[in-house]
Amino acid sequence: MDFAVIFVIAVALSFDYVNGFHDAANSIATVVSTRVLTPRIAVVWAAFFNFVAFLVFGTAVASTIANDVVVQSVLSIGVVFAGLIGAIAWDLITFWLGLPTSSSHALVGGIAGAAVAKAGFGVLITEGLRKIGVFIVLSPLIGLAVGMLITLAIYWVFHRNRNIERLNRGFRRGQLVSAAAFSLGHGANDAQKTMGVILALLIASGHLAPGSSTPLWVVLCAHTAIALGTLTGGWRIVKTMGSKITRLQPVGGVAAESGAAITLFATSIGGIPVSTTHTITGGIVGVGAARRLSAVRWGVAGRVVWAWVLTIPGAFAVAWLTMQAVDLLS
Amino acid sequence: MDRRAAFFLVAALVSAALIPVSVGFGWVAATVSVVYLVLALGSWLDARSHRRF
Repeated sequence: MDFAVIFVIAVALSFDYVNGFHDAANSIATVVSTRVLTPRIAVVWAAFFNFVAFLVFGTAVASTIANDVVVQSVLSIGVVFAGLIGAIAWDLITFWLGLPTSSSHALVGGIAGAAVAKAGFGVLITEGLRKIGVFIVLSPLIGLAVGMLITLAIYWVFHRNRNIERLNRGFRRGQLVSAAAFSLGHGANDAQKTMGVILALLIASGHLAPGSSTPLWVVLCAHTAIALGTLTGGWRIVKTMGSKITRLQPVGGVAAESGAAITLFATSIGGIPVSTTHTITGGIVGVGAARRLSAVRWGVAGRVVWAWVLTIPGAFAVAWLTMQAVDLLS
Repeated sequence: MDRRAAFFLVAALVSAALIPVSVGFGWVAATVSVVYLVLALGSWLDARSHRRF
């Protein structure tokens, strides 16, 4: 394997590491804010389930990223590199400007932008991009509906129970399971996006034949990178997440995480890359909306809509420019 | 109209609008749309009953 391929794989794994670093807060915010676990133990819990996700889910999302965004013949080391740089740069720009973003959508926009810069719009696979686009909108709506329905079901089942203290204790334990389930879904969906990029790179560089499945070492590297990111970074930003959208009790934490986890499991099995941030945001909004609409801080929900509009075109533009620079330099 | 019901109705309409473009996954968009319609109806009835009593 030559140096360029190893270098781009390292960039892809760095992207995965940053994803874990940044998104760990989503996995553990509710368990920390409801004081079920300390931040340090919570990140170990989340990182463990991020890593073991490869034992539960296949690699359908990786295959979608590698095969269904742009035609494989246009993929080269330069295109994959420019796509990754587009996604990373867009994430950093939006982080600096305080704009909402999604690493997953940035990656899709980045790969598409770099491929278009190389060979024009004809290389985009409209069916694959349409599937991803539809679920950008649907995944938070599904997370919201499932989170709300679980909350209503819990209220309906336990509304006669007067021992609130005991009930809360039960749901605090339940949060360990729901947080684990969400981390499993996060590991499955997000680590697979990086696997997809590395798979595309290995096919483009001739190390794998077109249509090959993801090698085990790629699966293990991607899950290790996201788990290490979660382990090292999550606790720094988790403190602000738990009460950002709506104030959560243990019962709400269980409902929000379960709603998001169900959405992530279904989309991972269906091979659909979705934003874990948007999905858990939907779940938390669903818990707030089950009480009353004013319990939800709609500014945060509105930022998700902005992320839908901005991220793919933004990462597309940065990757397009990067590809032009790569072409000039080579 | 109740704000929550209005929000769910908009979500139902958005999901319904995605049905024609969701090739192979139209049933997902349709199911989400129906769920939000039911939630909108439930929310509207809930708000209405609160106003009465």
